[in-house]
Amino acid sequence: MDPEATRTARDSLELVFHMSNILDTGLDRHTLSILIALCEMGLNPESLAAVVKELRRESPPCSSSPETVATPP
Amino acid sequence: MEDDDQRVVDLVKVLVHRLLCTSSQSNSQNPNASSFTPQEYNQALKYSLRILSSRMTPSIAADDSAMAESIKRRLATAGKSSEALTFADLYAKFSHKNGPGSVKNKWAVLYLLKTISEDRKVRKNQISNRISNGFLDSALAGGLPTLFEGDELSGGSGGFGNSSVGRSTDGFADLKGSSENVRNSRGFSNLENEKNEDSFSGLTANMKKLKVMGDASSSLRAREHVEKRYNGGILVVSKDPENIRDMAYRDFVDLIKEENEVTEVILVRDVLYACQGIDGKYVKFDEKADAYVLPELIKVPRATRIMVRKLCELGWLFTKVKAYITESMDRFPAEDVGTVGQAFCAALQDELSEYYKLLAVLEAQAMNPIPLVSENASSGNYLSLRRLSVWFSEPLVKMRLMAVLVDSCKVLKGGAMAGAIHMHAQHGDPLVNDFMKRLLRRVCSPLFEMVRTWVLEGELEDIFAEFFVLSQPVKAESLWREGYRLHAAMLPSFISQSLAQRILRTGKSINFLRVCCEDRGWADAATEAAAAAGTSTGRGGLGYGKTDALESLVTEAARRIDKHLLDGKGDFVQYLMDIVGPELSEAANTISSFKLAGLLESAIRSSNAQYDDPDILERLRVKMMPHNTGDRGWDVFSLEYDTSVPLNTVFTESVMSRYLRIFNFLWKLRRVEHALIGVWKNMKPNCVTSRFFVKLPHAVKLHLILTSRKCQVLWDEMNHFVSNLQYYIMFEVLEVSWSNLVKELEAAKDLDDLLAAHEKYLYSIIEKSLLGERSQNLNKILFTLFDLILRFRSQADRLYEGINELQSRTTDSSSQDKARLQRPSNKKSSEPGSWLGEGRKDLTRRAGEFLRNMGQDIDAIAKEYSSVFEGFISQLPIQQHVDLKFLMFRLDFTEFYSHLFVLHTCEPILCLVLAYLGFACIVLPLGRPFQFEKCTLLG
Repeated sequence: MDPEATRTARDSLELVFHMSNILDTGLDRHTLSILIALCEMGLNPESLAAVVKELRRESPPCSSSPETVATPP
Repeated sequence: MEDDDQRVVDLVKVLVHRLLCTSSQSNSQNPNASSFTPQEYNQALKYSLRILSSRMTPSIAADDSAMAESIKRRLATAGKSSEALTFADLYAKFSHKNGPGSVKNKWAVLYLLKTISEDRKVRKNQISNRISNGFLDSALAGGLPTLFEGDELSGGSGGFGNSSVGRSTDGFADLKGSSENVRNSRGFSNLENEKNEDSFSGLTANMKKLKVMGDASSSLRAREHVEKRYNGGILVVSKDPENIRDMAYRDFVDLIKEENEVTEVILVRDVLYACQGIDGKYVKFDEKADAYVLPELIKVPRATRIMVRKLCELGWLFTKVKAYITESMDRFPAEDVGTVGQAFCAALQDELSEYYKLLAVLEAQAMNPIPLVSENASSGNYLSLRRLSVWFSEPLVKMRLMAVLVDSCKVLKGGAMAGAIHMHAQHGDPLVNDFMKRLLRRVCSPLFEMVRTWVLEGELEDIFAEFFVLSQPVKAESLWREGYRLHAAMLPSFISQSLAQRILRTGKSINFLRVCCEDRGWADAATEAAAAAGTSTGRGGLGYGKTDALESLVTEAARRIDKHLLDGKGDFVQYLMDIVGPELSEAANTISSFKLAGLLESAIRSSNAQYDDPDILERLRVKMMPHNTGDRGWDVFSLEYDTSVPLNTVFTESVMSRYLRIFNFLWKLRRVEHALIGVWKNMKPNCVTSRFFVKLPHAVKLHLILTSRKCQVLWDEMNHFVSNLQYYIMFEVLEVSWSNLVKELEAAKDLDDLLAAHEKYLYSIIEKSLLGERSQNLNKILFTLFDLILRFRSQADRLYEGINELQSRTTDSSSQDKARLQRPSNKKSSEPGSWLGEGRKDLTRRAGEFLRNMGQDIDAIAKEYSSVFEGFISQLPIQQHVDLKFLMFRLDFTEFYSHLFVLHTCEPILCLVLAYLGFACIVLPLGRPFQFEKCTLLG
């Protein structure tokens, strides 16, 4: 990638990261970059958000109820 | 493609890994768990892949600016306006990043962020399971955080503790579950409001469950909960009033149940029945109170009772109106109720059908509770008594109006009814005004129909005697005057008197034309009039509130028909003039012969009248007036003019009789004039007489001269009088009146004007020629004078006959000697009392005697004449009519008579005064009557 593109990508990521902080999503840069890449690939953002939600959800009660991890959608 | 897919999978793996790491790190409750197990990982991976493959297409449109907008809005409404601005700024920069390396699918990224943030928020929200506050939203969004003892949510900036949940899980476990269920069942949607309401609604549903359970313990616990919080010295932001409200509400419900024997639903239904005039289960019509009431036995609170009573007023009014309508409908075949009444009933029925519609809708609503906007508020039954009263307010006003109208119109019909309704329509309230106008429009339509047919066709279709024009069956000649008249009682108040008169006149003219003149041309005039006035000749063109259209129609029709009348029927006016002319000229021209009947033809032939219209001449007839014995031919002669139908209206019997009088008067005048002319002919000196004069002896001559002089003087006076009188009558009376009549006839707009002008003409003639009632005395004197003149004439005739005979006697006697020698005695000439054969002396003596007698007679006549004449003159000034003064002026311009008169009356006084005072100036007061005369004559 040429430096121009790199810079653009980096700036974009920064911007999105700021936006996500404003919106209080709790995502860090790395996760965000993955998500962006997946969106660019054409995945449905709704389902991505659902994945994020589910994978986050399972963590707090993961100590008490591990079976909740596999709750069917 | 597989490359991409593989890449996707790799990325997802990484994502999962990271997320699990993150979440496990954030889990402070398990500090020991450093990482997740591989099986967890795999499971998570499988799960994620499943989720990702399940929904391929997004559910909303890809519009990144709209998405940004919605995020901004969300931030702003959540109170984070500065952040919203920052976000806007960032987004602006972000969207400008185009080109290689930039995010192409910006929308997706935004959407992603939004959804994640929402999910986080909801997650934070759902954990709070307290009995709510009404300001959940604001508390979540940015209100003061509430803290609970030992309650901390790690990593949460404003989390709500689970400990409270845990503490009272026994009571609220189901609550949590239920709210979760509520949330889950809603599926994923991205509107935050809905999410919040979701939980809120879940909570209120739970509150209801509380209520339903009627479990005092839970409320107590709730109160304890509150107290605990207070006791903990914690700042409580949220309120908890619902509980107390809840209890009060339940108490209220119990109270109402006690008081009401009958539920509101049944009462509402009963009221609805009552408003249609039907007795309900509880609400019945009370005869004594004359209203629909709830009987006292039924226990309802007083307020309800009063309300029911108020609502049932509508029912009472309704029964009244309905009764009127059914009654009228029943009476209709008996022809008591007219077309206007029918129209009124029809209009009322229409209004009632509107009312029925409303009632039907209300009944339907009373049956089914209608769902309200807010689905949580339980409405019970939609229609309560109070709601009913709101619905009924407008129908009540209308029904009241109808009942008032029904009351006032019970005994009226026709135009009177329309007028009464019109009076009620003068109201300031626009609702009332509109209602009345609508009603009135329908009520008046039959009335306007009648007017239209009357005005345009002259037809009166009035079975029920409702129209304000009444017709009476009369003969053709009085059709105009008495055939139709106005019926004031039936005249509605919105049709003014003048308009009504015009309507009457128009219809009369049409009928007149049709019946008397048999003229069909007016139909065209009528249609033209209708077209000009802008209404069709079809029905329904006119209406209430278009009174000016009616007026214009009437005016048009009247104008056209009058025009038609006045100039269409072969010069009606011309006929009039032609009739009146010959009547008078006949008097002037037929003095050449005074033989009776058959000579009229010759008279006419010899006169100017032969140039008149033969049609008129046909109508002239000689009529013999009813006469007494002793009347001579002249007295009973008169002309009669036979008028046919159209002219009969003008020339009624009374008019003809007046004409007759005038004619007779003129006739007499002519006759007198003729007599005087005859005398003048005799008095003419001719050579025969003059020769005769010379031959007479002196005494006889003197006598002769004297007598004849007297005769001449008297003749002169009489002639002066007669000729002036005739001049006055001819020119000052007849001509002037005639010209006035002509002028007015030209200007006449319609038949009424014509009649009026003609009346005026006749009246003025009669008054001025001393034939009127005011001049009875003068009339008598006048006729006395005429008689005197005729007597004089006979005397004068005798005198001159005598003179002639004398003259012939003398000539005869002079030539008698010659003739006696020549002819034998002539048997023919043997007359009784003839002087033939007497001597000259006898002749003279006889002549003298004769002349003296004559002289005396003439003197007598003269005296009588002058006295009567003076009387006549004296009475003239006191007449009111101004033209008589002109007569007097002519007769007495030298004041000869007035002077005489004054002298005669004042003679004794004058002598006395003169003798007494001997002052010339005393004459002045005596001269005042003179001056008075002078002033009146010359002024």
